[in-house]
Amino acid sequence: MNQPASVVISDLTKSYGGNTVLDHASVTFSPGRVHALLGPNGAGKSTLLGCLSGAVQPDSGTITCSGRAYRGFTPSEAFGAGISTIYQHFQAIDDLTVADNIYLGAELRRGGVMINSRAQLAGASALFERLGVDIDPRATVGSLSVGQRQLVEIAKALRHEPATLILDEPTSALSQTESVLLLELVTRLAHDLDIAVIYVTHLLHEVLTVADEVTVLRDGKIVWTRPGGDLDMQTLVTTISPDVDDSELISQSRDASNAAVLELDEFSSGFTGPLTVTIKEGDIVGVFGLLGSGRSDLLETISGVHPRRAGHALLHGRPYNPASVRSAINAGVALIPSDRSTMSIFGPMTALENVLLPRWPQTTRFLLRSKDNESKAFERIALSVQLKPPFPWQSAERFSGGNAQKLVVGRWLNDLAPVSVLVLDEPTQGIDVGSRRELYRLLRSFVKDEPGRAVIFASSDPEEIERLANRVLVLSDGVLIGEVEPGLGEDALLGLVHSREGASIKRTIGEEQYE
Amino acid sequence: MNEPATQTGALGFFNRQGADPIARMLGLFLPLATILLMVLFATQSDAFLTLANLRGITLQSAATIVLAVPTALLLMSAGIDLSIGSTVAVAGVMAGIFWQQDLIWAGLAAGLAAGLVIGLVNGSLVSLAGLNPIVVTLGTLAIGRGIAQVFADNPIFDFPEPVVAFGAGSTLEIPNLVWVAIVVVVLGMIVLNRLPYGKHLIAVGVNERAAYLAGLRVKMIKLSLYVATGLGAAIAGIMLAARFNSAPGGTLGVGTELFVLTAVLLGGVPFTGGQGAIWRVVIGVLLLGILRNGMVLLNFSSESAQIVLGSVLIIAAALELVRQRLYRKQ
Ligand SMILES: Nc1ncnc2c1ncn2[C@@H]1O[C@H](COP(=O)(O)OP(=O)(O)OP(=O)(O)O)[C@@H](O)[C@H]1O
Ligand SMILES: [Mg+2]
Repeated sequence: MNQPASVVISDLTKSYGGNTVLDHASVTFSPGRVHALLGPNGAGKSTLLGCLSGAVQPDSGTITCSGRAYRGFTPSEAFGAGISTIYQHFQAIDDLTVADNIYLGAELRRGGVMINSRAQLAGASALFERLGVDIDPRATVGSLSVGQRQLVEIAKALRHEPATLILDEPTSALSQTESVLLLELVTRLAHDLDIAVIYVTHLLHEVLTVADEVTVLRDGKIVWTRPGGDLDMQTLVTTISPDVDDSELISQSRDASNAAVLELDEFSSGFTGPLTVTIKEGDIVGVFGLLGSGRSDLLETISGVHPRRAGHALLHGRPYNPASVRSAINAGVALIPSDRSTMSIFGPMTALENVLLPRWPQTTRFLLRSKDNESKAFERIALSVQLKPPFPWQSAERFSGGNAQKLVVGRWLNDLAPVSVLVLDEPTQGIDVGSRRELYRLLRSFVKDEPGRAVIFASSDPEEIERLANRVLVLSDGVLIGEVEPGLGEDALLGLVHSREGASIKRTIGEEQYE
Repeated sequence: MNEPATQTGALGFFNRQGADPIARMLGLFLPLATILLMVLFATQSDAFLTLANLRGITLQSAATIVLAVPTALLLMSAGIDLSIGSTVAVAGVMAGIFWQQDLIWAGLAAGLAAGLVIGLVNGSLVSLAGLNPIVVTLGTLAIGRGIAQVFADNPIFDFPEPVVAFGAGSTLEIPNLVWVAIVVVVLGMIVLNRLPYGKHLIAVGVNERAAYLAGLRVKMIKLSLYVATGLGAAIAGIMLAARFNSAPGGTLGVGTELFVLTAVLLGGVPFTGGQGAIWRVVIGVLLLGILRNGMVLLNFSSESAQIVLGSVLIIAAALELVRQRLYRKQ
């Protein structure tokens, strides 16, 4: 837009059927600054941003933008006011090329009719050049990595020269390197192009590096707004989750004489291996690697999603060769996959249905469903994962991102049926600091409370590996480059994988895609 | 952190009540439209509101309901079966051939077996081989019709006394065929609402991949639903053959798929799957039945009746769209 101006939100209120989600929130977003919006799951961050993008209509309050006061936006008004939003879920169409996606809905035409592909390709290349990223505009979006898709979304948004750019948890699905790239880009956009960048994240170390301004939202209220320079991690954590118990967050040592739970012998998945490792009871094994290191592939193969390529596996000393996800689950191995929205959540179904789905037969009475057993089971599970709000009937798509993830965790972490090996791919995607620690605690007691249990998880967040794992497998380019004890430090971990990264970077394109 | 349970309950109740009034009104649209239509026909024709006519409507709708219940379940799982009209014919013809030999139970078994086989073929091709359901069942629609015509080369009619008596008779003042429909509806409700399987098939309709990753037997669920529509069509075919005392392979069940799909869609089951209720489907069938009956009473030509039915299908789809829009907005 012609002249950058602040976006001022004042007294914005929104409630859903008696549940106040935004409570007289007032905050100013200034051009040229990266403004981080923080807060626990369900605090109302996405709702606030939704009011700006036109997806949500506020009940009261105003949004002032380029000197005009609005009572709320329609999506096209928001667009007209220079506000562009990058949604958490990609809007791009997999089968179209990158260039076609960028120009989707606003195609460049020849003679007003035919799509001018050449001009679109050139335009897309120019955009990418300006962004300083290297993506082939001719590639189909489906063949890109998650990080590259994110960049395509940003390029698409920039085509409209927005005054305000909104990113809702842009890095939660990215690898460490990709996050760094994205954050650099975002900072550059704000500082060089004078764009107001608003972004939501649960990864607090990002905030300390890039944010010029930080606002914390809790229970729909703005707690405070401060310049980013004055903050430290501890302040952020305690403001977001005042009642978080920070005491026992150092990984526990393990007893190497414990019985073996899962033994992999020369085990190869489609992309990784051969891998030989023995996972013992009480182990919480962190698999660390960059995007494309084969983490997801390995975890999914262990959980019966893909057939193994070679090797053997023993579960509790018995041959383990699951033909399907179901047989893995029946053997006691359950997977929480990486992408919640496409792989685990059933949006229109209720919270209770989402949680109980695979364990429903365990709640029946004489083969028939028992409402009573169902709601009791749900209540227990909702309490243990601290679901908020704990409504069994609310459809899953109406939960905040982090609480949707809790539904999936609760699906397997319960007393309805035994699970001995819990496999988690990026378990805390979109989960706030407080709940994240709560989940770590849940997983710890999962392996401790009963014998014969272990956890395997993959994460691209070295901090998470450090905090949760008591054994760390470092994977690079499908190869196990070593097992390290925890406590090595985040930098050492990153150093380990980066030393091998040069060779692997080429192979990352298109990997970690599903089908 | 956690709200006290009482508040949860109260808020839950409140939320549900206040959910979204327009969507709730749309939910009432179907029963209201049915009543409105009945009032309209009653004022236009003296014959409409007679016991005999109303009985005729339910009798005519009985076979459709038997088809619509499994079809609705299949649609909720995001599947579709276009072959049911031909399965009706094959099953009717198979049963009829044995009935002509006075083999009552064998006829029944042959009819059901035909439905089972067609269902298994459809189901295996769609769920195990992964072929597109529209293509597969369009194929079996043609094949089934061909088979029915081959076997019905000589007219099949004049069935044994017990068969005819069952098709035309009543028990406790209610036609036997309506009893069959009632049983099927109750079974459908139990399957959808009282068995875990009901939620599993909805989950498949919402997101098949997520359902597989949650450990559901997706292939078995899909296969079983095609078997269910095959069996439903077979029962409907047997019912119709018994009622007409004949099994004309060339015409029995022709166009049924269109009628049933219209009714199911009208009953609020979207083609994209993932939701639906049996009672609404039943009302959808009855609404169409009343419409068809009223048009006959008011001397609509069969051509214009056809046009009205087609329009209803499109209106039903439009209503569904409006409903979803409203839901999203809320
Ligand atoms: N359409 C809706 N209907 C009812 N409640 C809703 C709806 N959308 C959001 N909510 C509720 O509003 C609250 C705030 O949700 P919001 O998505 O803004 O949280 P958030 O701060 O973005 O959380 P997260 O960090 O988990 O993404 C949540 O309690 C959520 O359940
Ligand atoms: Mg959110």
